[in-house]
Amino acid sequence: MAVVAAAALAGTALAGCSASGQQRIVFAFNKREGIPYMQKVVDDYNASQKKVHVVMDTSGIGTTAAGFVRGNPPDLLLANFNNQAARYVTHCATIDLSETAEAKRVRPAVKTLVDGVGECPGRTSAVPYSIMAAGVIYNKQIFARYNLEVPQTYDELIEVCKTLKAHGIIPFYGTFFDSWTVSQGWFDYAAGGSVDLKSFFNGLDAQGTDVGPDSAVSFQKNFLPGMQKMMVLARTYSNADANSRIYGDGNTAMAQGKGAMYLQGPWAFSEIAKTNPKAQLGTFPLPMTNDPKNLKVAVNVDLAAMIPEQSSHQQAAKDFMSYLFQPRIIDAYNASQLGYGPLTDSAAQNDPRVSGVQSYYQSGQMYAGPSYVIPQAIPIPNLAQSMILGADPKGVLAVIDADWARFARRQ
Amino acid sequence: MATTSLPAAPSPEAPRRAGSAPTAASTSSPRDAGQLARKHHKVEPVFWWMTIPTLIVFTLAIPLPAVMGIFYSFTNFIGVGNWRFLGLANYVAMFSDPQIRASYLFTVGFSLVTVVVVNIVSFLLAVGLTGRIRAKVAMRTIFVIPMVISGIVIAYVFQFVFSNAVPAIGQALGIGLLKESLLTNPDLAWLAVVVVTAWQAIPGTLLIYIAGLMSVDEVIYEAADIDGASKFKQLMQLTLPLVSSYVVINTILGFKGFLNAYDIIVGLTAGGPGTSTMSVAMNIVNGLTNGDYAYQMANATVFFIFTLLVSLLQLSLMRGRNKK
Repeated sequence: MAVVAAAALAGTALAGCSASGQQRIVFAFNKREGIPYMQKVVDDYNASQKKVHVVMDTSGIGTTAAGFVRGNPPDLLLANFNNQAARYVTHCATIDLSETAEAKRVRPAVKTLVDGVGECPGRTSAVPYSIMAAGVIYNKQIFARYNLEVPQTYDELIEVCKTLKAHGIIPFYGTFFDSWTVSQGWFDYAAGGSVDLKSFFNGLDAQGTDVGPDSAVSFQKNFLPGMQKMMVLARTYSNADANSRIYGDGNTAMAQGKGAMYLQGPWAFSEIAKTNPKAQLGTFPLPMTNDPKNLKVAVNVDLAAMIPEQSSHQQAAKDFMSYLFQPRIIDAYNASQLGYGPLTDSAAQNDPRVSGVQSYYQSGQMYAGPSYVIPQAIPIPNLAQSMILGADPKGVLAVIDADWARFARRQ
Repeated sequence: MATTSLPAAPSPEAPRRAGSAPTAASTSSPRDAGQLARKHHKVEPVFWWMTIPTLIVFTLAIPLPAVMGIFYSFTNFIGVGNWRFLGLANYVAMFSDPQIRASYLFTVGFSLVTVVVVNIVSFLLAVGLTGRIRAKVAMRTIFVIPMVISGIVIAYVFQFVFSNAVPAIGQALGIGLLKESLLTNPDLAWLAVVVVTAWQAIPGTLLIYIAGLMSVDEVIYEAADIDGASKFKQLMQLTLPLVSSYVVINTILGFKGFLNAYDIIVGLTAGGPGTSTMSVAMNIVNGLTNGDYAYQMANATVFFIFTLLVSLLQLSLMRGRNKK
């Protein structure tokens, strides 16, 4: 299988078109959990017509990046749309898809979200395929045992934590050794739940290189209250050995009911199910203020379609993209991955494990996690980790401000 | 450069020469033959066959990308798309970047400590393993095993040991210091990096020391025994000076290798906790993947000049030693 794929890839790189006049296009897709499903879609497509042969390349964003540099990128990308993939968009290295039927089906709130991660002015460069909505994963059985309601405010959350702690239950299971779990969960939820991130980042961009202790908007000013609350949850209401636990430990612990709450995205459910398929879990947005109106869910564009300018088979790539966006294919994909459909005609997500955040997603009460938005040149996972391990939040946020200004200066 | 490194090569031979037959006479005749051959053919064609392909591949793989990297360090290139010249902006930003300063401090400090630890432990092990002990070959084999294991594998195994096994032992024995993983302590995590790096680096250094110790003639020790020198005195005043050129080689090779620390840190701490064990090489590699290519190329250029200066300093020190 792999050999065939590799041989096909090599063929594509050299020729592009085969002797029989059939076009070969390379389709980059590397979301591990989705590969079996996508492979079947590709096989079906190849069997359904003779004009185009699609080859799936699952080797990852690193290979894609190298392909861009060599001038030989994949013809169609379906990739996690974070700040790393967004560079191709912000540098206008992908074509305009605004005229495609698929781009016109995208919900306006989702389009705003995508553009917030990265855009090439005047173009619709990335068409979202799957949105992940993340919040607090909680154990419904533990909550039921102690008659706990899902908290809507920060004070209610603290009450829940106190009750759990009094009964010897770990309120939050932390896996601080893996820094990405700190930035994706703790840092993003704490910031997104306490700050209006859209106006915050607009303010930062308007300030340019002038970001510091005296500027109107800064990390050390706007993020500090949220970070201080995060520190309370992490230090007072988490497992004692959280500092040396990794992501795998957290999934096992949640499967075994060792923790009541877990700050992870829906991708963790399939991992938890490996240990305990019957775990009764749900999701709710982390309350960071005392006004339930401020409840918002963290979302990221888990997959978006892009076609590189350098592709010599743009029309064939667009045709295959239309195939991928057919309701039956995109809906089945999102149903299986616990993702949310980004289109106006997308089916609702009915899995009980993620239905708790559905209404927030539908009504647009959502934010893109700052760790997906801040340029990766600023090592947010490491900085968030140092905070949660005990460094002074104000000092760490000042470092982020300085890094931000330094980054802006060399653009 | 080439001429300065030449005096180093004969020096490990020096102790052996003291005890064995003189070599000067035996080397003179092939050299004459070589001069004769050179008179008849200008250059052997095989010379070109062997040199040119290597030179082309080397130029394409090392100097050319390096020059391109230096060029892009004056731009805002991210690896794809448009770019423009920034002049020295990357360099200016770099020198005011506390994280880059910290990474240099960490890398140099870590390299110095590791090179000392590795050399002391390897030297003592080599003395033991060349002594009159049983199962010498088997023991040497065991000690060399870490050398053939990939660094990333070693790092992940040790990460588990530090995060789970050591705290469990600390818990069982009631030793408070061990209860918390060393890897989560921002002030001490670098020690774990030293331990694991040393564990992997000791075998290579050990082999060179064993070779050095075996080249010392037994007669010298017999003479010292007769003169009544204690074993410790023999070690410090005979063995150490006789293998001093090996110490120099191990120090230089080791230090240069440790400056490029990457795989073990990635697997062990990923530069954390926080950024406390972020090495210079890690920052540079991260720049390639996270869209900060040009900035980290400026860092790479500065790091290149830095290692060049360190190498020149070491070479001049070594030359001084060899003159003695």
